[in-house]
Amino acid sequence: MLTYAVRRVLLSVPIVLIASFVLFVATRATFDPLGKLRQSRDPSVLHRETIRLGLDKSVPEQYFLWLKGFVTGDWGVSTRTGGDVRKMILQALWPTLQLIFWGIVFAVIIAGFIAIYSAVKQYSLADHTLTALSYVGIALPAFWFGLVLIQLLAVLPRQQFGLTDPLLYFVGLHSPGQSGFNLDYLRHLVLPVLTLTITLVAMWSRFGRASMLDALGSEYVRTARAKGVPRRRILLRHAARNSLAPFVTVVALDAALLFGGLVVTEQIYSIPGMGRLFLDSLLTGDVFVLLPWLLVVAAAVVVCNLIADIGYAILDPRVRLR
Amino acid sequence: MFPAVATLLVASACSSNSSALSGQNDAPVAARDGGSIVIGAEQEPDCADWLGTCAGSIWGSYTMQVGTIPAAFDTRKVDGKWVPQASDLLTGDPAVQTVDGKQTITYRINPKAVWSDGTPISSADFAYTALQVRDGKDIFEKSGYSDIANVATPDPKTAVVTMQTPYASWRDLFSGDYGVLPAHILDGKDRDALMKDGYTWSGGPWIIQNWQRGTSVTLVPNDKYWGPKPHLDKVTFQFITDTAAAFQALKSGQVDALYPSPQLDALSQIKAGVANTKSQVDPVTGNLEAIWLNNTKFPFDSQTVRQALAYSIDRDAIVKRLFGTIGVDKAAQSFFTPIVGGFGESAFGKYTLDLGKVTALMTGDGWAKDSAGFWAKGGKRASFAVETLAGNKRRDLTLQILQSQFTQAGFEMTIHDTTSATLFGTTAPNGDFQAGLYTLIDTFPEPLNLASTFASAAIPSQANGYSGTNFGRVNIPGLDAVLDQIDADVDPAPRIAASKQADQMLADAVPAIPLDDVPNVLLWSARLGGPISINPSEGPFWNLSEWGLAQ
Amino acid sequence: MSTGTASAGQISGTRAMLRRFRHHRLALAGTVVLVLLVVACFGATWIAPAKQGVQDLALGPTAPSWAHLLGTDELGRDYLSELLYAGRMSLAIGFFVAVVATVVGTAVGAVAGYVGGVVGEVIMRLTDLFLIVPAIAILALALNGLGSSPVTIVLVLSGISWTYIARVVRSQVLSLREKEFIDAAKVTGTSTARILVRHMLPNLAGIITVNISLAAASAIIVESTLSFLGFGVQPPRTSWGNMLSQASGLVGTPQVYLLYFPGLFILVTVLCVNFIGDGLRDALDPQGRQL
Repeated sequence: MLTYAVRRVLLSVPIVLIASFVLFVATRATFDPLGKLRQSRDPSVLHRETIRLGLDKSVPEQYFLWLKGFVTGDWGVSTRTGGDVRKMILQALWPTLQLIFWGIVFAVIIAGFIAIYSAVKQYSLADHTLTALSYVGIALPAFWFGLVLIQLLAVLPRQQFGLTDPLLYFVGLHSPGQSGFNLDYLRHLVLPVLTLTITLVAMWSRFGRASMLDALGSEYVRTARAKGVPRRRILLRHAARNSLAPFVTVVALDAALLFGGLVVTEQIYSIPGMGRLFLDSLLTGDVFVLLPWLLVVAAAVVVCNLIADIGYAILDPRVRLR
Repeated sequence: MFPAVATLLVASACSSNSSALSGQNDAPVAARDGGSIVIGAEQEPDCADWLGTCAGSIWGSYTMQVGTIPAAFDTRKVDGKWVPQASDLLTGDPAVQTVDGKQTITYRINPKAVWSDGTPISSADFAYTALQVRDGKDIFEKSGYSDIANVATPDPKTAVVTMQTPYASWRDLFSGDYGVLPAHILDGKDRDALMKDGYTWSGGPWIIQNWQRGTSVTLVPNDKYWGPKPHLDKVTFQFITDTAAAFQALKSGQVDALYPSPQLDALSQIKAGVANTKSQVDPVTGNLEAIWLNNTKFPFDSQTVRQALAYSIDRDAIVKRLFGTIGVDKAAQSFFTPIVGGFGESAFGKYTLDLGKVTALMTGDGWAKDSAGFWAKGGKRASFAVETLAGNKRRDLTLQILQSQFTQAGFEMTIHDTTSATLFGTTAPNGDFQAGLYTLIDTFPEPLNLASTFASAAIPSQANGYSGTNFGRVNIPGLDAVLDQIDADVDPAPRIAASKQADQMLADAVPAIPLDDVPNVLLWSARLGGPISINPSEGPFWNLSEWGLAQ
Repeated sequence: MSTGTASAGQISGTRAMLRRFRHHRLALAGTVVLVLLVVACFGATWIAPAKQGVQDLALGPTAPSWAHLLGTDELGRDYLSELLYAGRMSLAIGFFVAVVATVVGTAVGAVAGYVGGVVGEVIMRLTDLFLIVPAIAILALALNGLGSSPVTIVLVLSGISWTYIARVVRSQVLSLREKEFIDAAKVTGTSTARILVRHMLPNLAGIITVNISLAAASAIIVESTLSFLGFGVQPPRTSWGNMLSQASGLVGTPQVYLLYFPGLFILVTVLCVNFIGDGLRDALDPQGRQL
């Protein structure tokens, strides 16, 4: 099992490398790293920067220069802020990690309950309602939910009850001057996490329901039933446990994509995470941030895939036999 | 604390707070001392090295620069017009002399003026700043400074700047974009590295306490400031880039003030009324939105076509639709924005919707309408693409109205979306466009932008490393000399006459079409007090030290 | 992932399949509503109350009324008409993305699965490229570079979604490859292309149809998110997604209806497409197992 996982990680290295080269060429073709400097009235700036950044060399040469820098920890300097790209990305990772963590915790719990309930009560009114709701969750884009949630849960209640402060905040993760894990943090967290959770629950509950149904229809559950094992025990010990492995895999794979995929949520809730960093860099043509960003996100995906593999192996007893 | 308020009013008497257009604004509420507020900022500045190429974000100036960097001239409203006025960094108006074609400006520094570490602000600071801009690398903008011959410092409180050639907008030096930087902290060091992420020194009423990238900037009072001290203990600017979220934050009390770009959504929010909120709408701005034409690209290489284009749209109707809800319904009629209004005229006023004139001009130039109803000449249709920055709803709507009006006049217009990096970095400098819709911003009440936009020397070329900003390749015979005079004539009367002449020449040649002066809008919570109003040059927070919680 | 294990002899079950689909009430309702929507949108020239893009600057935004059933937007355009015209773009994007992605995905997946070996491995590693970077980032990057015309949007969206179909098809083909009737065809000297098209494809019909509906629905949603970020269909072209994002600043104003109506159209369409997909899956796979 371990060798399998290691092999997969090693296999993903050339993929990431190819991806980085394709993206390097693509971003260099799209963006002018000196775009902003061209507005400067000092022509010598352009020449100096061209030399410094090696822009007069061929594209493959530039790529290898860049790759060398990246591997040795020199990720370059942002053309937008003049800041160290590595620091910028590490700073952006933290808020995103928090969102992903809380989003997954809640989404897994809620989706898990819905999945088990729906599967057990298949085709009941509740099952149909939950299924329909999950469709709604998938059908409307995150920005729509975000804006409507802000109106319904933060602005309206404050106006209705004449509060000085809204119960839930939606700007950033802390009020000015606050930090750490406290009530203020939680009040900031609810809305973005809820926005994120809606989509995740919608996807995962449907998947979970399907794999529960799969497990419930399988032979060992039928055998267990025939043997007279109590219903609750069948559900939790046999069915739920066996559908856990594919469920965890999907969770890990989807979670991986959240590292760079929270663009909309972070934009609406003014959270300085990876998604915002990507959007800001893209809109300002900050090539030196975009590439390392993509690589960090890719690395996160590879790590999550590894977690998914290991999780699968631990949770699914059948895998160990191989 | 009444005495504090009283001194403040005296100190700011020159600012004449009786703003002509106060919107739903009531009389100022007195402010008390203490407390903290949060202000929503829709953009985060890229860096705080105001001299460097990474500067140039107007929000950097609003949030940090205005409160911390002393300037020789303030922009204040006098007799209804915004003009530069010697600030209390100086003891009075500098003496200006022109001898043998060389201009000298003598600044006398207020003896009370000190940096936040107690070091007096001195002539060395003036010399340092001037030479950094003139000789520095990666400087955002050098106009004016590049003509400085030398800066003499006869004594610590006197700085004498000598210009190689007379510079009419000399009040912009040590004001406008830059101000004065502390030599004793920066001289001989890497200025950019020390300043770009924020700095802890100050020569203004505020000190930057911290700048958390992506989140907020926090200002606290500068104890050593020689002028009136701020009422508030702390001001935090939170970056909220989504307009809808920003308004909701104001409504929910998470932020106390907003200075939104006047998107239609924002205006309908204001019209609908935001509870417990006051607002000011100010049409006197430095923001000019215009249709910029590439004067060397078909069909705009013909002056007749450009004139016909100007006659084919109802600009007043467009402005009324965009800003009518807040009482602004007149199109911009000059490339001199309202804050430099004293210089220009309404020369473009002659262009109103007149399809008869369009037909006369076009047929006279050999054009005829094709089967689809569009003008064509020699088998080529009068068709053009307008470059626009994606994601700005107001511009999207403006373009849709324009498209509809141009179609009726026989011009085929398409919309081409781009990003500011692509447009201003590549497309515009290379001249790969026919037309564009974007905003030109004046930040100082002097006609500084005109030459860089319309002088033939500013056409991006190999010679200037594609660094000029005359993107439209405008080259109007005789205009260069007039623009030079505007830049160099220290005598106000002939300078204004030259400006008016330039305005007329531009209107005759139509190198571009001014559309609207984007009004400024400021909203603030009723819990705030103090004289709150917009300054189109220094921004809405120019007098932040006078803000406070309402008594 | 295992799907319906349709064996060779099941093609004759088309009628039974149709019957099962008809019994899926939601799917039936979804079909009816979707057909109505498609007719209304593509027949908008005749059905819509107003011509596309007709502005009334003096009128401006108005609330729903008898004159304008869903009100008017900022430029005084009839919102119902605009929504119907915009629907053509959204539905077309959904349709074409589904078709392009399915054709490409099926072809690649079938080849990768059938040929197998190094070629198959290389192809599947290529699809991994798309799993590594979040779709929204690739989409935004590509559209930023290529420009957001309807064609580029369809191509870029398809470029993302074909990989999923390719994976599903490949795994299906891998298991089919071992089946006896394929061996039989091979023995009789049938060409590879013929085996793929004549013997494999009919057995893949089920998952392919289901995926068409999934891809169409997600394309419509993703386009709206792209619009919000500024990379979707650009004005003056309209789509539901771009109308939704244009109205996003109106939360809390009297014109908030401009935000709800396009959302409603997207919701209804996506629900219908998903119900149809569910119905098809149940119809094609009577054991009731799901993807």
